[in-house]
Amino acid sequence: MSRVACARVEAFAAAAVERCEPRLREQPLAVVTGAPPATRVVEANAHARAAGVRPGLSDAEACVRCPGLVRRPASADAEAAACHALLEACLAVSPRLEDGGPGLVHVDLAGLRGLFGSDADIAARLRRQARAVGLEVRVGIAATRAAASVAARVGPAVNALPPGDERAALASVPLRALEWPEGMAATFTRWGLQTLGDLAALPREGLGARLGAAGLDAHDRAMGVDRAPWVMWTPPVFWEEAQGLEWEIDTVPALAPVLDAVLGRLCARLSAAYLVADTLDVRLALTTGGHHVRAVTLAAPLSDVAALATLLVLEIEAHPPDAAVIGVAISAHVLPRRAAPGDLWQPRAPAPRELASVLARLTALLGGVNVGAPVALDSHRPDACTLTVFTGEAAAVGEAAGISDGTDIGDTATNDATTPHATDADEASAVAPAGALALRRLRPPRPVAVDVADGRPARVTDPAAGALLVVTCAGPWRASGDWWDTNVWARDEWDVALTDGTVWRLAHDRLTNHWLLDAVYD
Amino acid sequence: MLVDRLLRQGAMTELVGPLSSGRTSLLTLCLRAVTRRGALAALVDTDHAFDAAGAAASGVELRRVLWVRAEGHRRHALKAADLLVRCPGFALVALDLGESPPRLSLGAAYRLRQAARRSGVALLIVSARRVVGGAAALSVAARRDRLTWAGPGPVPRRLAGMRSEFHLVRKQGAPSGADAERVWWTA
Repeated sequence: MSRVACARVEAFAAAAVERCEPRLREQPLAVVTGAPPATRVVEANAHARAAGVRPGLSDAEACVRCPGLVRRPASADAEAAACHALLEACLAVSPRLEDGGPGLVHVDLAGLRGLFGSDADIAARLRRQARAVGLEVRVGIAATRAAASVAARVGPAVNALPPGDERAALASVPLRALEWPEGMAATFTRWGLQTLGDLAALPREGLGARLGAAGLDAHDRAMGVDRAPWVMWTPPVFWEEAQGLEWEIDTVPALAPVLDAVLGRLCARLSAAYLVADTLDVRLALTTGGHHVRAVTLAAPLSDVAALATLLVLEIEAHPPDAAVIGVAISAHVLPRRAAPGDLWQPRAPAPRELASVLARLTALLGGVNVGAPVALDSHRPDACTLTVFTGEAAAVGEAAGISDGTDIGDTATNDATTPHATDADEASAVAPAGALALRRLRPPRPVAVDVADGRPARVTDPAAGALLVVTCAGPWRASGDWWDTNVWARDEWDVALTDGTVWRLAHDRLTNHWLLDAVYD
Repeated sequence: MLVDRLLRQGAMTELVGPLSSGRTSLLTLCLRAVTRRGALAALVDTDHAFDAAGAAASGVELRRVLWVRAEGHRRHALKAADLLVRCPGFALVALDLGESPPRLSLGAAYRLRQAARRSGVALLIVSARRVVGGAAALSVAARRDRLTWAGPGPVPRRLAGMRSEFHLVRKQGAPSGADAERVWWTA
């Protein structure tokens, strides 16, 4: 039987503001909207509600009911950031999430029992993850999203309905404890309905005929039935935290605490999702209506608030905005956090910070074109390779699909239907091949003079090694390519053993009729 | 096995020999052994001589190899190796000094050895002659034994392989094993 958890933040708009200003958690807070004198309360935290502050009250009436009431304007940025934070916190528990709206996330619990334990353990983990990003959630667990959503609104902070008995468990929930579309609650009262059980007992078709689609949805909710498909939520490609300011900030020291707070929330989200920031983009809203945008590329991916805050402050000090700041938004391009060992069986790898530092020093010493991971190109051209960025990514062991190992090459050579020309072939073949004979490339290939006798190299004159006689040679191995392009190449390759004991690979360029020392066997 | 003795964690080992002795093939075999088990290796290539395509065909997983090309600047190569050997996490840092290895003072050699010991990195120095002297825990000298040619007629058409001999010339604190080993390479 499927199990779904619903994580719900009460008074979400107020919780989003509290997340930006944690000290407000201990004070009565009302989130208001509208210009005076039409300012209205849209949300209130638990302290304010206890004092009688309700959504819809005028600002003046709310202040009369609760003299110490703190009022903050509704912030769409803060709510969007809190919404993302909640989703990302839940992502640390289950990969299958559904965004249920502001402050509401549905979490598929399939397969999690073996990982985390009972429903109560999973709920505790969800609450812990949400608390880490600054949100307090109630968790309802049931077989369907509808039932879990109701369970998250009533009863204890963790409310797990017994499997298979959701309808009975929901029957006693009073209708007034839930939110309904405008006018529907009054209709239910007029009909004499008190609980979800009363609503579930009504015929569905009749509800649909009288209340339309909203009535059908209400009946499904009372029955604990899901009819809509699961809409999977996937994390965004970049992560952002924002905060609007009620006051203007025109100095960097005054801006630093705000940056610190916004970065703190962003880093908490990244930590919950096991990510680290690679690049930070800071967007400061100015009183002039414009924006001051700075990008900070980090030398090494990290999620350390203090270090990031220092970097941001230094960047803004170096490039200050033209006007006072009234809003801060910080977004991060992220990378997965990688511990020193990838997993239990993975060999140790350099820590990302140390690896980035070493790569930066090597790049400064030798240039970026000389540091990286080699990549063999898909070409028959000899020495076709390039460099790519070395990430140090450790993959699963034994992933070398498609790459033959030395043993295979050795087998091929041994099974070749040719005649060995060794002085003692039997003795040579008695030693098992350890690997392939490697080449030392000369880049660029060095021009040499070659005397040819009977169509085969007989003597090589190299500017560095002098004149050398060829003891044995094998070839030619003809290769060509890119004949359809301007960089056409065609060559004959010879392997030659010389009197000084070295074995060279010579190439005769058939286009220019030049001989080149391409590589030395070693 | 010779590769295991050369890949001792926290030790500096040395592999010397002339051209066509099999030392680069043994270096490639070490890179293959490290990368095939999922670990990372760094190669400081002084002369820009590493054959990446051939190494890939030999089974080296190139994405786990950090290739640092010094373009003939031996001082830069030594500096790069010094940086890499101080970065814990690489299973192997190979310094290929090529045919004209620089003179390395005893102090510099012991500093490299100490850095390898601290970081637990296996430092393998490959060159034409010995450069670190007594600082190396293990020194192996390579020598070509014989070549094998193949072909359908009386004239060889293909280099079939080469046999190398590796002799231990210094094995301070190294695990015991045969002092000489013959290895057969296929071309």
